[in-house]
Amino acid sequence: MSSKFEPKIHVFYCVNAFAQGVFSPPDAENAAFVKSIKMPCSSMIKDVFILKAFECGSDGVVVIGCPSGKCKRVDGNMRAAKRVAWVQKLLDEIGLSGKRLVYTVGDETDAATTLLLKQLAELGPNPFKPVEQANPK
Amino acid sequence: MIVAKQKPIAEIKEMLRPYQKVLILGCGTCVKTCFAGGEDEVATLGAALRLAFGREGRHIKTEELTVERQCEDAFIQEAVPAVARNEAVLSLACGAGVQAMARRFGKTILLPGVNTTFIGVLEKPGLFTEECSGCGDCELDTFGGICPVTRCSKRLMNGPCGGSKNGKCEVSPDIDCAWQLIIDRLTALGQQDNLKRYIPAKDWRPSLSGGPRRLLREDHVV
Repeated sequence: MSSKFEPKIHVFYCVNAFAQGVFSPPDAENAAFVKSIKMPCSSMIKDVFILKAFECGSDGVVVIGCPSGKCKRVDGNMRAAKRVAWVQKLLDEIGLSGKRLVYTVGDETDAATTLLLKQLAELGPNPFKPVEQANPK
Repeated sequence: MIVAKQKPIAEIKEMLRPYQKVLILGCGTCVKTCFAGGEDEVATLGAALRLAFGREGRHIKTEELTVERQCEDAFIQEAVPAVARNEAVLSLACGAGVQAMARRFGKTILLPGVNTTFIGVLEKPGLFTEECSGCGDCELDTFGGICPVTRCSKRLMNGPCGGSKNGKCEVSPDIDCAWQLIIDRLTALGQQDNLKRYIPAKDWRPSLSGGPRRLLREDHVV
């Protein structure tokens, strides 16, 4: 029996990236599960937070910052973008593919999420199975 | 500080393949500063390894701990219980830290997670540069605080080679000409006379060329 792949996505977003300070999933029909995590600045994202999301079974991760020149912490968005690029390389090294991770800014979230979903459709589910799923008690 | 670079995930994975329970042990001093082996890097590497093995359907158990300094026995002792709980230790310390651990834990498998690269400084955020070769006979007073042994690509001690262009070394445009820096600094300090001093052939015996070195401070031995 084959079932349609419904990706799980974690979204880390800067509270200042959206006018109302709240992220709402752009296309709830395509993403079966979207978990959003609000941050005071996108630069608060750490490599390990992204990797933990994949360890928790996420198929893709989106990090959303403020547009260039609009960061309230001056260069937090640049730091976040660079960190995401670094983790993309790490994901390639691990064998999960860096295409499972995207960085975008508030206004371009819909397009970035659509791109991520397209890439996830090609990549398929996250091959990592959390220990609980691999070895059910 | 000692500057190190984390080994590629594939290399670390191969080292860890025989083991199920691994302690990833960070060092909170030099390698933390150069983003190779502090708390953050330990956590990231732990997650990366679990993911890398997990995608092959294999689950290893990782324990994470960072001590202040792995090159000092007093700090290493904090790791004793964690070491006992695991089959192997992946140390993210420099080579000195890994060997200090090996000395302390005679029957524990010790694996290096980083490549120790050089003694250097943080030149600007994210950029570390080599500044000292540990040659054992410091002459920085003569050279205005800039070391030709380490920073001149040709290790010239008596002036520039003549190959530099616009203050950059002919070996690479990313490298400043050490002799240009030395001359500029001695001029600024009014110590140009230092340039007239002939430096005889360097005695390399105090360096690593003389074999592993040791330093004994009798007044601290009890």
